[in-house]
Amino acid sequence: MSEAKTLPSGPQPDVKYPIQVIYCGNCSLPIEYCEYHPEYEKCKQWLERNLPNEFEKFVKLSADVSEEDATEEKKRQKRGGKGIVKARKKEDGPKQVCLSRAPRGKKKSVTVVTGLSTFNIDLKVASKFFGTRFACGSSVTGDDEIVIQGDVKDDLFDIIPEKWPEIDEDSIEDLGDLKR
Amino acid sequence: MFKKFDEKESISGVQQLKSSVQKGIRNKLIEQFPLLETYLDTILPKKDTFRLVKCHDHVEIIVHSSGELLFFRHREGPWMPTLRLLHKYPFFLPWEQVDKGAIRFVLSGANIMCPGLTSPGAIMTPVEKGTIVAVMAEGKQHALAVGTTALSTDDIAKVNKGIGIENVHYLNDGLWQMKAVK
Ligand SMILES: [Zn+2]
Repeated sequence: MSEAKTLPSGPQPDVKYPIQVIYCGNCSLPIEYCEYHPEYEKCKQWLERNLPNEFEKFVKLSADVSEEDATEEKKRQKRGGKGIVKARKKEDGPKQVCLSRAPRGKKKSVTVVTGLSTFNIDLKVASKFFGTRFACGSSVTGDDEIVIQGDVKDDLFDIIPEKWPEIDEDSIEDLGDLKR
Repeated sequence: MFKKFDEKESISGVQQLKSSVQKGIRNKLIEQFPLLETYLDTILPKKDTFRLVKCHDHVEIIVHSSGELLFFRHREGPWMPTLRLLHKYPFFLPWEQVDKGAIRFVLSGANIMCPGLTSPGAIMTPVEKGTIVAVMAEGKQHALAVGTTALSTDDIAKVNKGIGIENVHYLNDGLWQMKAVK
Protein backbone atom coordinates (compact mmCIF):
# COMPACT_ATOMS: atom_id res chain seq x y z
CA MET A 1 0.00 0.00 0.00
CA SER A 2 1.07 3.50 -0.69
CA GLU A 3 -0.55 5.83 1.80
CA ALA A 4 2.28 8.30 1.64
CA LYS A 5 1.85 9.12 -2.04
CA THR A 6 -0.92 11.40 -3.14
CA LEU A 7 -2.04 12.70 -6.48
CA PRO A 8 -2.58 16.38 -7.19
CA SER A 9 -6.13 17.62 -6.95
CA GLY A 10 -7.69 20.85 -8.13
CA PRO A 11 -6.23 23.27 -10.67
CA GLN A 12 -2.46 23.52 -10.41
CA PRO A 13 -1.14 27.05 -9.94
CA ASP A 14 1.66 26.63 -12.47
CA VAL A 15 -0.47 25.11 -15.23
CA LYS A 16 -2.43 27.04 -17.79
CA TYR A 17 -5.77 25.56 -18.74
CA PRO A 18 -6.93 24.25 -21.14
CA ILE A 19 -3.93 21.96 -21.44
CA GLN A 20 -2.94 21.25 -25.02
CA VAL A 21 -2.34 17.55 -25.30
CA ILE A 22 -0.38 16.29 -28.29
CA TYR A 23 -2.28 13.53 -30.02
CA CYS A 24 -0.67 11.07 -32.36
CA GLY A 25 -1.54 11.55 -36.01
CA ASN A 26 -1.48 7.83 -36.59
CA CYS A 27 -3.39 6.26 -33.70
CA SER A 28 -5.07 9.41 -32.24
CA LEU A 29 -3.98 8.66 -28.66
CA PRO A 30 -1.88 11.03 -26.57
CA ILE A 31 1.59 10.21 -27.83
CA GLU A 32 2.66 8.76 -24.48
CA TYR A 33 0.20 5.91 -25.11
CA CYS A 34 1.36 5.07 -28.63
CA GLU A 35 3.48 2.25 -27.27
CA TYR A 36 0.27 0.37 -26.43
CA HIS A 37 -1.12 0.67 -29.92
CA PRO A 38 -0.66 -2.25 -32.30
CA GLU A 39 0.57 0.15 -34.96
CA TYR A 40 3.31 1.53 -32.75
CA GLU A 41 5.81 1.31 -35.59
CA LYS A 42 3.64 3.55 -37.75
CA CYS A 43 3.19 5.90 -34.80
CA LYS A 44 6.93 6.22 -34.49
CA GLN A 45 7.22 7.02 -38.18
CA TRP A 46 4.57 9.68 -37.80
CA LEU A 47 6.32 11.11 -34.77
CA GLU A 48 9.67 11.17 -36.48
CA ARG A 49 8.22 13.05 -39.41
CA ASN A 50 5.99 15.48 -37.53
CA LEU A 51 7.45 15.95 -34.08
CA PRO A 52 11.15 15.16 -34.28
CA ASN A 53 11.79 16.55 -30.79
CA GLU A 54 9.26 14.27 -29.18
CA PHE A 55 10.62 11.39 -31.20
CA GLU A 56 14.07 11.93 -29.72
CA LYS A 57 12.64 11.69 -26.22
CA PHE A 58 10.85 8.51 -27.17
CA VAL A 59 13.91 6.78 -28.44
CA LYS A 60 15.69 7.52 -25.16
CA LEU A 61 12.71 6.37 -23.15
CA SER A 62 12.24 3.10 -24.91
CA ALA A 63 15.88 2.27 -24.33
CA ASP A 64 15.22 2.51 -20.58
CA VAL A 65 11.99 0.60 -20.84
CA SER A 66 13.41 -2.47 -22.55
CA GLU A 67 15.49 -3.15 -19.45
CA GLU A 68 12.37 -3.18 -17.32
CA ASP A 69 10.51 -5.33 -19.76
CA ALA A 70 11.77 -8.64 -18.47
CA THR A 71 10.23 -8.08 -15.05
CA GLU A 72 7.18 -6.50 -16.61
CA GLU A 73 6.54 -9.64 -18.60
CA LYS A 74 6.26 -11.76 -15.47
CA LYS A 75 3.76 -9.42 -13.88
CA ARG A 76 1.59 -9.50 -16.94
CA GLN A 77 1.20 -13.22 -16.97
CA LYS A 78 -0.46 -13.16 -13.58
CA ARG A 79 -3.35 -11.12 -14.88
CA GLY A 80 -6.15 -12.85 -16.70
CA GLY A 81 -7.79 -11.73 -19.89
CA LYS A 82 -6.21 -10.78 -23.10
CA GLY A 83 -5.31 -7.16 -22.57
CA ILE A 84 -4.84 -6.47 -26.21
CA VAL A 85 -5.54 -3.06 -27.58
CA LYS A 86 -7.46 -3.48 -30.74
CA ALA A 87 -6.59 -1.43 -33.73
CA ARG A 88 -9.60 0.38 -35.02
CA LYS A 89 -10.17 -0.40 -38.62
CA LYS A 90 -9.66 2.95 -40.13
CA GLU A 91 -10.74 2.33 -43.68
CA ASP A 92 -7.21 1.43 -44.40
CA GLY A 93 -7.92 0.82 -48.04
CA PRO A 94 -6.01 2.76 -50.62
CA LYS A 95 -6.19 6.48 -50.07
CA GLN A 96 -7.64 7.76 -53.28
CA VAL A 97 -10.05 10.38 -54.47
CA CYS A 98 -12.15 9.59 -57.51
CA LEU A 99 -13.78 12.13 -59.78
CA SER A 100 -16.41 11.46 -62.37
CA ARG A 101 -18.99 13.27 -64.44
CA ALA A 102 -22.60 12.23 -64.50
CA PRO A 103 -25.32 13.56 -66.77
CA ARG A 104 -28.09 15.61 -65.30
CA GLY A 105 -30.93 16.33 -67.65
CA LYS A 106 -30.18 16.69 -71.32
CA LYS A 107 -27.55 19.38 -71.29
CA LYS A 108 -26.18 19.65 -67.77
CA SER A 109 -23.91 17.45 -65.80
CA VAL A 110 -22.76 17.05 -62.25
CA THR A 111 -19.39 16.09 -60.80
CA VAL A 112 -19.16 13.25 -58.35
CA VAL A 113 -16.29 13.23 -55.83
CA THR A 114 -15.67 10.12 -53.78
CA GLY A 115 -12.89 9.04 -51.49
CA LEU A 116 -12.22 12.29 -49.63
CA SER A 117 -12.89 10.60 -46.34
CA THR A 118 -10.03 8.18 -46.92
CA PHE A 119 -7.94 11.25 -46.18
CA ASN A 120 -10.01 11.95 -43.07
CA ILE A 121 -11.51 15.05 -44.61
CA ASP A 122 -14.80 16.26 -43.21
CA LEU A 123 -17.22 15.87 -46.12
CA LYS A 124 -19.55 18.61 -44.99
CA VAL A 125 -16.71 21.09 -44.83
CA ALA A 126 -15.42 19.96 -48.22
CA SER A 127 -18.84 20.21 -49.81
CA LYS A 128 -19.28 23.72 -48.46
CA PHE A 129 -15.89 24.65 -49.81
CA PHE A 130 -16.71 23.37 -53.31
CA GLY A 131 -20.01 25.19 -53.28
CA THR A 132 -18.36 28.49 -52.41
CA ARG A 133 -15.45 27.97 -54.73
CA PHE A 134 -17.51 27.15 -57.80
CA ALA A 135 -20.51 29.25 -56.78
CA CYS A 136 -22.79 26.30 -57.33
CA GLY A 137 -24.75 23.67 -55.50
CA SER A 138 -22.80 21.02 -53.67
CA SER A 139 -24.02 18.37 -51.32
CA VAL A 140 -22.92 15.32 -49.40
CA THR A 141 -24.86 12.49 -50.99
CA GLY A 142 -23.46 9.40 -49.40
CA ASP A 143 -21.06 7.86 -47.00
CA ASP A 144 -18.12 9.20 -48.93
CA GLU A 145 -19.63 11.02 -51.86
CA ILE A 146 -20.10 14.66 -52.76
CA VAL A 147 -22.06 15.80 -55.78
CA ILE A 148 -21.24 19.20 -57.24
CA GLN A 149 -23.65 20.80 -59.68
CA GLY A 150 -21.92 21.49 -62.97
CA ASP A 151 -18.89 20.06 -64.69
CA VAL A 152 -15.92 21.13 -62.59
CA LYS A 153 -13.90 17.97 -62.86
CA ASP A 154 -10.90 19.53 -64.55
CA ASP A 155 -10.68 22.31 -62.00
CA LEU A 156 -10.79 19.84 -59.15
CA PHE A 157 -7.49 18.31 -60.16
CA ASP A 158 -5.85 21.61 -59.26
CA ILE A 159 -8.06 22.75 -56.45
CA ILE A 160 -8.10 19.61 -54.32
CA PRO A 161 -4.31 19.34 -53.86
CA GLU A 162 -4.19 23.08 -53.31
CA LYS A 163 -6.79 22.98 -50.54
CA TRP A 164 -5.60 19.71 -48.96
CA PRO A 165 -1.85 19.42 -49.49
CA GLU A 166 -1.92 15.84 -48.16
CA ILE A 167 -3.74 14.80 -51.32
CA ASP A 168 -1.30 14.39 -54.11
CA GLU A 169 -2.46 14.97 -57.67
CA ASP A 170 -1.48 11.40 -58.47
CA SER A 171 -3.91 10.02 -55.95
CA ILE A 172 -6.84 11.62 -57.74
CA GLU A 173 -8.37 9.27 -60.24
CA ASP A 174 -10.46 10.30 -63.22
CA LEU A 175 -13.28 7.85 -63.70
CA GLY A 176 -14.53 9.65 -66.81
CA ASP A 177 -18.23 9.86 -67.56
CA LEU A 178 -20.74 7.89 -65.62
CA LYS A 179 -23.68 6.63 -67.56
CA ARG A 180 -27.06 6.84 -66.08
CA MET B 1 -20.14 1.59 -22.48
CA PHE B 2 -18.60 2.61 -25.77
CA LYS B 3 -16.82 -0.57 -26.65
CA LYS B 4 -19.17 -1.35 -29.50
CA PHE B 5 -20.18 2.22 -30.11
CA ASP B 6 -20.01 3.30 -33.72
CA GLU B 7 -20.82 6.82 -34.73
CA LYS B 8 -22.42 5.75 -37.97
CA GLU B 9 -24.83 3.30 -36.39
CA SER B 10 -25.28 4.54 -32.87
CA ILE B 11 -26.46 8.12 -33.34
CA SER B 12 -30.20 8.54 -33.54
CA GLY B 13 -30.51 12.31 -33.64
CA VAL B 14 -29.16 15.75 -32.82
CA GLN B 15 -31.23 18.16 -30.78
CA GLN B 16 -31.03 21.91 -30.35
CA LEU B 17 -31.76 22.75 -26.74
CA LYS B 18 -34.04 25.40 -25.33
CA SER B 19 -32.18 27.95 -23.26
CA SER B 20 -33.99 26.86 -20.13
CA VAL B 21 -32.79 23.31 -20.67
CA GLN B 22 -29.25 24.52 -21.34
CA LYS B 23 -29.32 26.47 -18.11
CA GLY B 24 -30.47 23.38 -16.25
CA ILE B 25 -27.59 21.34 -17.68
CA ARG B 26 -25.05 24.05 -16.84
CA ASN B 27 -26.27 24.16 -13.25
CA LYS B 28 -26.16 20.40 -13.03
CA LEU B 29 -22.57 20.36 -14.30
CA ILE B 30 -21.47 22.93 -11.72
CA GLU B 31 -23.25 21.00 -9.01
CA GLN B 32 -21.50 17.81 -10.06
CA PHE B 33 -18.09 19.36 -10.69
CA PRO B 34 -17.65 22.42 -8.44
CA LEU B 35 -14.01 22.80 -9.52
CA LEU B 36 -15.17 23.41 -13.05
CA GLU B 37 -17.20 26.48 -12.24
CA THR B 38 -14.59 29.10 -13.17
CA TYR B 39 -13.89 27.34 -16.44
CA LEU B 40 -17.41 26.45 -17.50
CA ASP B 41 -17.89 29.70 -19.39
CA THR B 42 -14.88 28.82 -21.51
CA ILE B 43 -16.07 25.29 -22.13
CA LEU B 44 -19.73 26.14 -22.70
CA PRO B 45 -20.00 29.90 -23.33
CA LYS B 46 -23.33 31.26 -22.18
CA LYS B 47 -24.03 32.91 -25.52
CA ASP B 48 -23.37 29.72 -27.36
CA THR B 49 -26.03 27.16 -27.95
CA PHE B 50 -24.89 23.65 -27.39
CA ARG B 51 -26.60 20.59 -28.76
CA LEU B 52 -27.48 17.19 -27.49
CA VAL B 53 -26.66 14.13 -29.56
CA LYS B 54 -28.98 11.24 -28.81
CA CYS B 55 -27.53 7.81 -29.28
CA HIS B 56 -28.70 4.26 -28.96
CA ASP B 57 -28.76 2.58 -25.55
CA HIS B 58 -29.95 5.81 -23.90
CA VAL B 59 -26.67 7.63 -24.27
CA GLU B 60 -26.71 11.41 -24.67
CA ILE B 61 -23.73 13.57 -25.55
CA ILE B 62 -23.42 17.35 -25.08
CA VAL B 63 -21.82 18.90 -28.13
CA HIS B 64 -20.34 22.38 -28.34
CA SER B 65 -21.55 24.54 -31.23
CA SER B 66 -18.16 23.94 -32.87
CA GLY B 67 -18.89 20.22 -32.85
CA GLU B 68 -16.60 19.24 -29.99
CA LEU B 69 -17.93 16.44 -27.78
CA LEU B 70 -17.92 17.52 -24.14
CA PHE B 71 -20.00 15.47 -21.72
CA PHE B 72 -22.05 12.32 -21.96
CA ARG B 73 -24.44 10.40 -19.79
CA HIS B 74 -26.28 7.14 -19.72
CA ARG B 75 -30.04 7.22 -19.10
CA GLU B 76 -30.65 9.91 -16.49
CA GLY B 77 -27.28 9.28 -14.85
CA PRO B 78 -24.69 11.89 -13.97
CA TRP B 79 -22.80 13.74 -16.71
CA MET B 80 -19.30 12.51 -17.39
CA PRO B 81 -16.61 14.32 -19.38
CA THR B 82 -15.21 12.95 -22.60
CA LEU B 83 -11.50 12.17 -22.37
CA ARG B 84 -10.68 14.95 -24.80
CA LEU B 85 -12.31 17.45 -22.47
CA LEU B 86 -10.76 15.86 -19.40
CA HIS B 87 -7.33 16.12 -20.97
CA LYS B 88 -7.80 19.89 -21.16
CA TYR B 89 -9.07 20.28 -17.59
CA PRO B 90 -7.86 17.17 -15.78
CA PHE B 91 -8.32 18.66 -12.30
CA PHE B 92 -12.07 18.54 -12.07
CA LEU B 93 -12.25 14.82 -11.39
CA PRO B 94 -10.41 12.98 -8.61
CA TRP B 95 -7.49 10.97 -9.97
CA GLU B 96 -7.00 7.28 -9.41
CA GLN B 97 -3.69 6.00 -10.69
CA VAL B 98 -3.26 2.42 -11.86
CA ASP B 99 0.10 0.71 -12.09
CA LYS B 100 1.87 0.37 -15.39
CA GLY B 101 0.90 -3.26 -15.91
CA ALA B 102 -2.78 -2.37 -15.89
CA ILE B 103 -2.58 0.13 -18.75
CA ARG B 104 -3.02 -2.32 -21.59
CA PHE B 105 -6.04 -3.89 -19.91
CA VAL B 106 -7.72 -0.57 -19.35
CA LEU B 107 -7.07 0.32 -22.98
CA SER B 108 -8.76 -2.86 -24.10
CA GLY B 109 -11.87 -1.84 -22.19
CA ALA B 110 -11.49 -3.92 -19.04
CA ASN B 111 -12.76 -2.68 -15.70
CA ILE B 112 -10.09 -1.63 -13.26
CA MET B 113 -9.46 -4.36 -10.74
CA CYS B 114 -8.60 -3.52 -7.14
CA PRO B 115 -5.03 -4.94 -7.22
CA GLY B 116 -4.21 -2.56 -10.07
CA LEU B 117 -5.09 0.28 -7.69
CA THR B 118 -3.25 -0.94 -4.61
CA SER B 119 0.07 -2.16 -6.01
CA PRO B 120 3.27 -0.11 -5.54
CA GLY B 121 2.84 1.77 -8.83
CA ALA B 122 -0.71 2.80 -8.01
CA ILE B 123 -1.95 5.80 -6.04
CA MET B 124 -5.52 6.45 -4.95
CA THR B 125 -7.31 9.66 -4.09
CA PRO B 126 -9.84 8.87 -1.32
CA VAL B 127 -13.41 8.90 -2.68
CA GLU B 128 -16.74 7.26 -1.99
CA LYS B 129 -18.35 4.47 -3.97
CA GLY B 130 -20.06 5.66 -7.15
CA THR B 131 -17.72 8.62 -7.74
CA ILE B 132 -16.79 9.61 -11.27
CA VAL B 133 -13.01 9.47 -11.47
CA ALA B 134 -10.20 10.05 -13.92
CA VAL B 135 -8.12 6.91 -14.40
CA MET B 136 -4.48 7.92 -14.62
CA ALA B 137 -1.48 5.64 -15.06
CA GLU B 138 1.92 5.22 -13.52
CA GLY B 139 4.47 7.18 -15.50
CA LYS B 140 1.88 8.85 -17.73
CA GLN B 141 0.65 12.41 -17.70
CA HIS B 142 -2.78 12.10 -19.19
CA ALA B 143 -5.92 10.21 -18.26
CA LEU B 144 -6.57 6.96 -20.08
CA ALA B 145 -10.12 6.35 -18.93
CA VAL B 146 -13.11 7.79 -17.12
CA GLY B 147 -14.88 5.50 -14.72
CA THR B 148 -17.14 5.12 -11.72
CA THR B 149 -15.85 3.64 -8.49
CA ALA B 150 -17.54 0.32 -7.70
CA LEU B 151 -16.34 0.51 -4.10
CA SER B 152 -15.09 3.30 -1.92
CA THR B 153 -11.31 3.65 -2.10
CA ASP B 154 -11.13 2.46 1.52
CA ASP B 155 -12.89 -0.72 0.52
CA ILE B 156 -10.77 -1.12 -2.58
CA ALA B 157 -7.72 -1.16 -0.30
CA LYS B 158 -9.39 -3.47 2.22
CA VAL B 159 -11.03 -5.98 -0.12
CA ASN B 160 -8.31 -5.80 -2.76
CA LYS B 161 -10.03 -8.06 -5.26
CA GLY B 162 -12.68 -7.77 -7.94
CA ILE B 163 -13.69 -4.62 -9.75
CA GLY B 164 -12.58 -1.33 -8.20
CA ILE B 165 -13.54 1.09 -10.94
CA GLU B 166 -15.96 0.47 -13.75
CA ASN B 167 -14.41 1.50 -17.03
CA VAL B 168 -16.95 3.73 -18.75
CA HIS B 169 -14.96 5.51 -21.44
CA TYR B 170 -11.36 4.80 -22.44
CA LEU B 171 -8.83 5.92 -25.00
CA ASN B 172 -9.58 4.58 -28.46
CA ASP B 173 -13.11 3.35 -27.69
CA GLY B 174 -16.06 4.26 -29.88
CA LEU B 175 -16.63 7.61 -28.20
CA TRP B 176 -12.97 8.54 -28.51
CA GLN B 177 -13.14 7.66 -32.21
CA MET B 178 -16.28 9.68 -32.78
CA LYS B 179 -15.64 12.73 -34.87
CA ALA B 180 -16.87 16.22 -34.06
CA VAL B 181 -20.58 16.59 -34.75
CA LYS B 182 -21.13 19.33 -37.26
ZN1 LIG C 1 0.29 6.74 -32.07
